Amino acid sequence: MIYFDNAATTRPDGGALQRAAEFITELYYNPSARYGGGFAVSKSLSFMRESLLKYLGAAGRYDLIFTSCGTEADNQAIFSCGKRGNVVTTAGEHAAVFSACSELKNRGVEPRFAPVERDGSVKIENVLSLVDDKTSLVSVVHVNNETGAINDIAAIARAVKEKNPRTVFHSDGVQAFGKVQFLLPQEVDLYAVSAHKIGGLKGTGALFKRKNLPLSPHIYGGGQENGLRSGTENTFGIAAFAYAAEEKFKSLREDSLRLRAYREKLFAGLDPSVFTRLSPENGSPYILTVSAAAMRGEVLQRMLWDRGLCVGTGSACSSKNRFSRVMTACGYREDVLDGVLRMSFSPATTEEEIDIAVGILNSTVKEYQRNTH
Amino acid sequence: MEKVVIIRYAEIHLKGKNRGYFERVFSNNLEKALRGIRHEIHRTSGRYLVANFEEEMIGEIMRRIANVFGVHSYSVGLLTGNDEDSIFEAARLVAPKAGTFKVVTHRGDKHYPLTSMEISSRIGGRLLGANPTLKVDVHEPQHTVYIDIRESGRALVFGAFIDGLHGMPVSTAGKGLLLISGGIDSPVAGYMMAKRGMTVEMLHFHSYPYTNEAAKEKVVSLAKILSDYTLVTRLTTVSVTHIQEEIHRKCAAELNVTLLRRFMFRIAERIAYREGAGCLVTGESLGQVASQTLEGLTSSNAVVKLPVLRPLIGFDKEDIIEVAKKIGTFETSTLPYEDCCTVFLPDFPAIRPKLSFIEAEERKLDVDALVEEALATREIIKF
Repeated sequence: MIYFDNAATTRPDGGALQRAAEFITELYYNPSARYGGGFAVSKSLSFMRESLLKYLGAAGRYDLIFTSCGTEADNQAIFSCGKRGNVVTTAGEHAAVFSACSELKNRGVEPRFAPVERDGSVKIENVLSLVDDKTSLVSVVHVNNETGAINDIAAIARAVKEKNPRTVFHSDGVQAFGKVQFLLPQEVDLYAVSAHKIGGLKGTGALFKRKNLPLSPHIYGGGQENGLRSGTENTFGIAAFAYAAEEKFKSLREDSLRLRAYREKLFAGLDPSVFTRLSPENGSPYILTVSAAAMRGEVLQRMLWDRGLCVGTGSACSSKNRFSRVMTACGYREDVLDGVLRMSFSPATTEEEIDIAVGILNSTVKEYQRNTH
Repeated sequence: MEKVVIIRYAEIHLKGKNRGYFERVFSNNLEKALRGIRHEIHRTSGRYLVANFEEEMIGEIMRRIANVFGVHSYSVGLLTGNDEDSIFEAARLVAPKAGTFKVVTHRGDKHYPLTSMEISSRIGGRLLGANPTLKVDVHEPQHTVYIDIRESGRALVFGAFIDGLHGMPVSTAGKGLLLISGGIDSPVAGYMMAKRGMTVEMLHFHSYPYTNEAAKEKVVSLAKILSDYTLVTRLTTVSVTHIQEEIHRKCAAELNVTLLRRFMFRIAERIAYREGAGCLVTGESLGQVASQTLEGLTSSNAVVKLPVLRPLIGFDKEDIIEVAKKIGTFETSTLPYEDCCTVFLPDFPAIRPKLSFIEAEERKLDVDALVEEALATREIIKF
């Protein structure tokens, strides 16, 4: 099976699994415990926390709060900082942000959604025009998970702060962390990441928080994570996360260049009479989203699976929620929306896989056309 | 003193000389329904007693009996000795804590030294003595304590009659093959036929990869819920993918659904013959969708010899939904996995297709070969 759905989740890194196993079988002590074993785990935890902060150049300037997933990190940011006035976000957000912001309406805070461009990115001016002196929070996704479009969140955050310095700026960095070269600029107050998208384990996420930014907890208890996220730390998940991140950041530049070349090779090989490109060229090298015109993405997805290629899709056969909310917001026609396929790669993706995938994709759409026309 | 469940049956008493047969099947069905729970079933005059089970299983036993067709009513009771003290002890447990009540006695053992009236008044009096908050009201009591003196030197004491499902015991009225989709209607149709005693086998058509595994799983879940009532624990599936593709490619678009249904009926009839089923059962309701007009139904009937039973034909959708909710299939039926892909749905299906037009379009296809090919995809799922 050629696995091109790495943006959904990716195979855990072998070394990360080993590291996790160590924290399951040997260093299983509770890091809050005051005896030697607990202290040793707690020390490892701070070391791993520091190393994760370091990858975004955030050590000393930011705190890292471990959570159970990227969604939790996004939720904590939004519900902590979006408590009054209005909250500005975009129509291209992942559901973790989009649904949380929509929920704010029930809590007396007005959510505002900036429109997105065809590629899923948002223009600075479209965010800015929604920001006013009552804006408590702005949240803009770093890498759009459906198209791979990269938002220049540093510039957006700077512009937002110029217009209203009291506004907190949050970004969902789940598809960017470990994949896109980036250092946290001071204007970005909060940044959410997830472990299982880069070779860590599911059940581990984290929120980067600028030091001195007041945040409220959403889970109360034993006061772990400086009281901001109670509950015994997921030490093995964090250990796997730290290991996987180290691996990814070590070769981030080379991986990006190679995958960019693969992504272009894959698209160049696709039958131009069928496939339209929806991902921007300057987007994440890890994601290529295309549309097979007038075909059903979900059906193609199953046919491809049966032929040894696993891809993501942005559409469903179902009449309810047939189209992806994000792709619809990008402004495509129904027949384009129907045929959306997302191919997403990992550093383990090989050129040979790209070549085979091209063959499978082209022959499968032919077969689909033969069977349904 | 032992806790028992008393089961009374419904229409079986009407069946004259066949009564023995109906009773045998009914008791088999009770056994099937209680499979996996330690118990004994005893038949006594005109009713069944479920006994010798572990007391904590009582809830599950009641839940399962509630789903057996042919049960008129049932009660949880206490089986005890027929001396007055034992009956009183049992009656005290069955009697309410407060409110009005009366005692009703039935004397199966006519040699018993007291009459029914005497037993009722003695036990009633003792209950009043033991619990002064109770009051007797023989006309409109809030609670009734029933005492049944049996010939075996035992007595049954119980409180309430719980209404059963009624109907006939399944597998006393032949076998039918239900065409089950993931929708609301077909499980209800299966339920209705089982209620009249039919053994309901199930057949599901899928069109993978145009439909997904979740849609098929949904049908399996529905079939499982239905099996609580029908006691049939398997489902046959057949792929009609290639048939849909061929129809889509070669025939007039407005006939897509009509033609597909004719194929489904042909395949279903072949499977029915193999499984010894004497009819097909569908969830069609007149006029509900384009293929369920009189013309649509006629065109499907035209390709099979077996009778097609459509128990919902005169039901409104709301009526069907009401039953679906009652039998517990509604929630599953409304899960968002579709059993038909929008790829093959025409914009304007034919509402009153002429048989001659249908047959002309169908001649463009190799019907027999497509039916054989579909039959070869047959899978049986047991659960």
